[in-house]
Amino acid sequence: MPKDFDTEVYPEPPRQTPVVDKQTALPNPALILSKVFYYTVDLPVTTFRDTIDSIRSKNKLVYYHQKFRRVPDLTECQEGDYPCYYEAEMQWRRDYKVDQEIVKVVQERMRACQQREGNSYEQNCTKEIQQFHEVTKNFQSRYGDLGAYASAKKCLMKQKERMMAAQAQSA
Amino acid sequence: MVGMSLLRSAAAFAARLSPLKAGNNAAHIITRTIPRTDKVAIRWGHGKKMFVVKPSDFYDRRFLRLLQYYILLTGIPVVVFVTAVNVFIGEAELAEIPEGYEPEHWEYYKHPITRWIVRNIYDSPVKDYEKMMAAIQIEKEKADMRLTQLEVRRQMRQTGDGPWFQVPTLDKELIDHSPKSSPDN
Repeated sequence: MPKDFDTEVYPEPPRQTPVVDKQTALPNPALILSKVFYYTVDLPVTTFRDTIDSIRSKNKLVYYHQKFRRVPDLTECQEGDYPCYYEAEMQWRRDYKVDQEIVKVVQERMRACQQREGNSYEQNCTKEIQQFHEVTKNFQSRYGDLGAYASAKKCLMKQKERMMAAQAQSA
Repeated sequence: MVGMSLLRSAAAFAARLSPLKAGNNAAHIITRTIPRTDKVAIRWGHGKKMFVVKPSDFYDRRFLRLLQYYILLTGIPVVVFVTAVNVFIGEAELAEIPEGYEPEHWEYYKHPITRWIVRNIYDSPVKDYEKMMAAIQIEKEKADMRLTQLEVRRQMRQTGDGPWFQVPTLDKELIDHSPKSSPDN
């Protein structure tokens, strides 16, 4: 079966099943239903999966995540050096995708925390909420309104505007 | 065969004599002898049986039949093939890149059919990148050459000491100076 999620990042809440204190002779319907579910759904599905895995285990393929080398940035390119511009643009696009995924992961963590805590999420999830706010604020300030035709040059110009605004404010 | 017809005529005679007796009901042994109109099983549904006049649905049904046939002709082999690949070969699992090993460009994909396509049909992404950069370099060189050509034109037109913009004139040696040497002839 595939790996489960990381239990440090998404901790399970402590189990609150009470001690069994059966005082009637009647059977427990929850227990019956869970057993029925196990035998009709869980067991066939698991055996099917195991048979398919045993057929597949002869040729196991693996795949990797590609690691790209860092290339000179747009600011380190000579003017008119178009191949350098292309490389910087590709690197910026990869970084943009990575940043989008980072925001998604942080958002997912906050949602999981809210789901876990239930009605007391405002108190218990402060770390996740604060992290989410910080990450989204940074993402918005860097890639915010660049639009669908965003490019490294536009992002650089946005950064220049930000720096000019910060300088005007501090001066 | 003769015995059969004898039996048949005997049963018909008996049924005609006493039609209401239980064993004389000919409906389930020998057909078409006595129609029992009081005990007929009515199986037409409810209502009068009508001949419904409607336009021909032959062409529609033929179209749907042919559509089904041509879709399934390649659809079923494709489905069988993809199922076999998923069951017998299976998707790849994520692993860390081992030390000092450079994975091939198709080893970055999960599904085996995608891996096959990337390995045999597509160019590697490194090659695509290099092709793009080569195209950019060629265009850059063309643009630079055009700019230098314009600059050279400007310079040559201005200074006039280059090979361009030379207007061909007649040779000086061809001028006949003899009438000019003696003015008053």
